Amino acid sequence: METDALPNGSSASSTTGSTTSAPATPTAAITAGAVSASALPSSKLTQLAESLKLEHQFLRVPFEHYKKTIRANHRIVEKEVSAVISGVAEAADSAELSRDDAVQQLNSLVSRLQGLKRKLEEGSRTEHLQAQRCRARLDHLESADAENLSEWNNIRLKRILVDYMLRMSYYDTAIKLAGSSSIQDFVDIDVFFEAKKVIEALQSKEVAPALAWCADNKSRLKKSKSKFEFQLRLQEFIELVRAENNMRAITYARKYLAPWGATHMKELQRVMATLAFKSNTECPTYKVLFEAKQWDYLVDQFKQEFCRLYGMTLEPLLNIYLQAGLSALKTPFCYEDDCTKEDPLSQESFRKLALPLPYSKQHHSKLVCYITKELMDTENPPLVLPNGYVYSTKALEEMAKKNDGRITCPRTGLVCNYTEVIKAYIS
Amino acid sequence: MELNTIKDAFDRVTKKQKLSSSKSQEIIEQISQEIEQALSRIGPGDDIMTQTDPTFMLCELKAKLKEIGPHSQLEVTQKELNVALSKYPKLLEKSFNPDISKAYRNIDFDIHTVNQIIASHFYREGHFDLGDCFVHEAREPEAEAAKSSFAEMYQILEAMKLHNLEPALKWAATNHDQLNQNGSDIELKLHRLQFVEILQKKRRDEALNYAKTFLAPFAKSHMAEFQKLMGCLLWAGKLDASPYAELLSPVHWDKLSEELTRHFCNLMGQSFESPLSVTVAAGGQGLPTLLKLMNVMTGKKQEWQSMKQLPVPVDLDREFQFHSVFVCPVSRDQASEENPPMLLSCGHVLCKQSITKLSKNNSTRPFKCPYCPSEVEVGQCRQLYF
Repeated sequence: METDALPNGSSASSTTGSTTSAPATPTAAITAGAVSASALPSSKLTQLAESLKLEHQFLRVPFEHYKKTIRANHRIVEKEVSAVISGVAEAADSAELSRDDAVQQLNSLVSRLQGLKRKLEEGSRTEHLQAQRCRARLDHLESADAENLSEWNNIRLKRILVDYMLRMSYYDTAIKLAGSSSIQDFVDIDVFFEAKKVIEALQSKEVAPALAWCADNKSRLKKSKSKFEFQLRLQEFIELVRAENNMRAITYARKYLAPWGATHMKELQRVMATLAFKSNTECPTYKVLFEAKQWDYLVDQFKQEFCRLYGMTLEPLLNIYLQAGLSALKTPFCYEDDCTKEDPLSQESFRKLALPLPYSKQHHSKLVCYITKELMDTENPPLVLPNGYVYSTKALEEMAKKNDGRITCPRTGLVCNYTEVIKAYIS
Repeated sequence: MELNTIKDAFDRVTKKQKLSSSKSQEIIEQISQEIEQALSRIGPGDDIMTQTDPTFMLCELKAKLKEIGPHSQLEVTQKELNVALSKYPKLLEKSFNPDISKAYRNIDFDIHTVNQIIASHFYREGHFDLGDCFVHEAREPEAEAAKSSFAEMYQILEAMKLHNLEPALKWAATNHDQLNQNGSDIELKLHRLQFVEILQKKRRDEALNYAKTFLAPFAKSHMAEFQKLMGCLLWAGKLDASPYAELLSPVHWDKLSEELTRHFCNLMGQSFESPLSVTVAAGGQGLPTLLKLMNVMTGKKQEWQSMKQLPVPVDLDREFQFHSVFVCPVSRDQASEENPPMLLSCGHVLCKQSITKLSKNNSTRPFKCPYCPSEVEVGQCRQLYF
């Protein structure tokens, strides 16, 4: 206890018992303060490094996009090249090919290859742009240092807001915000526009674009054991039942639902039973399947699959940062009437969001002067008025200077002399 | 942060990608050349003698293409590219926090409230078109309420940028009483700027009149300031060469704009900094600690969802410290109304419960302060109010 309990130790022993004399700032405290101030930058840097580690999504999403383009371009090359080769083989194998036919055949293959070349050039342009974007983001992370931190944080907030807009489908605001602060390379507008089509189609009860998206990303969805496609198929089946198109429903089920039977038998059985119950059923197990909110559920499912595929967090970044910030800031004092306006938690809306969150915890005292709102520490130690109210040295010195050494307690109105205040030692 | 290894890994990806795409081009080029060669040999011409049998040519071409083996060639570069492509995201996952939503509590985070916070953030930052666009798109018409008051503030600030103090003075006059109550002398500062502006235009009489009407009321409370300003009257038109040249500094305008923003927000019951920026910045500092906590708590997900207080302190910079928190150095408890901080006669501070324990619940028996050699009596301890 003795060792760690004496942060003010050097000054404490010298001033012990001198409670009546006016406190003088001990030089020891000043030097101690200076040491801690010079140690600040290194802790600031570790703090910065820690917060950079939160930026996984920032680097991952453009990379996934880039990878997707590379793969697509490669697939085109493979497909076209094999088409040309088999074209040649076919021509060679057909026994009686006239010369003109052969020439024509070969000419068409040549123009096909030329088309491929053009496509490939276009593809590498996109690849190049996307690689540039990945690199721009790496550079942006690297550029963060202690000097430009507030500017960097500012951009981070904007990035987080654009992410929120895109996830909530507020596309216009997203584009406007990204454009007005020139952070287009730092946000994923084009990625989300791929989702936009699918979401809008689902909202108007159309599954085709969603199914096409599933087909596009088949292997990766399979890897993550996604059943999104199955859910889409179930919904299509339900729609057939709703239209009382039972024969078609059964054929549809045979073709598209049966392959999922091995893994999702329960759900399959439940949906098949709707053939018997019809859409106007009152049986709750089946009634929900016909409700409109099933489509909203599909939209949510799609968003989740989409985010997972691109390595994004499932929640908007804004919500994650807000929650963490609110938990870190939340104290019982925030909900009192005299909570300072500078505290976000003095605002009703923030209080509401923070309500279900845990309070923060402190292991060490942190005292804020009621008057100046500055931290009271060894450089600006707390002083106690005769009535037990505590204010910072800076604030009281200032007040005493202005009023011939007299001090008025702003909360109780008590007037006393500056010589009557005593220093409190807080560890 | 050490980003060099990540950058290197990414460079490897782009290098392999370039290699693979040039290989593709090369192969396509090769195939087209072969075909064109065959075409020229099948040739036009009617000369039976120079003509080769097309089927024979085609078979030869087929064999040649087989020899090139485009697929196996493509495969080699593609394989290398694939290795690089799968290594990079793994490196990212290792160097970064792959899923920061681990620290997210699955609670109902009211979208409506979040949207309102965002809308007023846009308005308070002066991005009115963005705010309008957002309010429209998110269908939150109520959120527009914050707009008008901030619009007034930006009008005043814009005018000040053009050295027009009219709107600012009007605002200060309307809110005279409240500003006084807050102990603000911004009204005087505005008048002072206006006064100096007039003086600078060499209109001494006008300046004098202005001082009589607008500065005189402040004379009693700000005598020194008032005297200084009256002294300026002597230097009308050549203030820059006077001892008062400092008053002309453009810094005053910037400072006053900031002060006005501060007071304007305060009167509206708003903070000077956007609460959204403050909270998100605090989140950026707090998240690493929370994520570490979640790593320790894996398997106790339930506990995290229902916890009333964080089990570990989350250290934030001092600008996020809005309230005094006293932690008893003996018991490590946070002070509360039932367990308030008490000042011992030696100047050290403990919580009431700790004092009760140290004194063995005997109010007359002196005990030794745990921090210094002094003997203290419970009766002499005083409650503190931070």
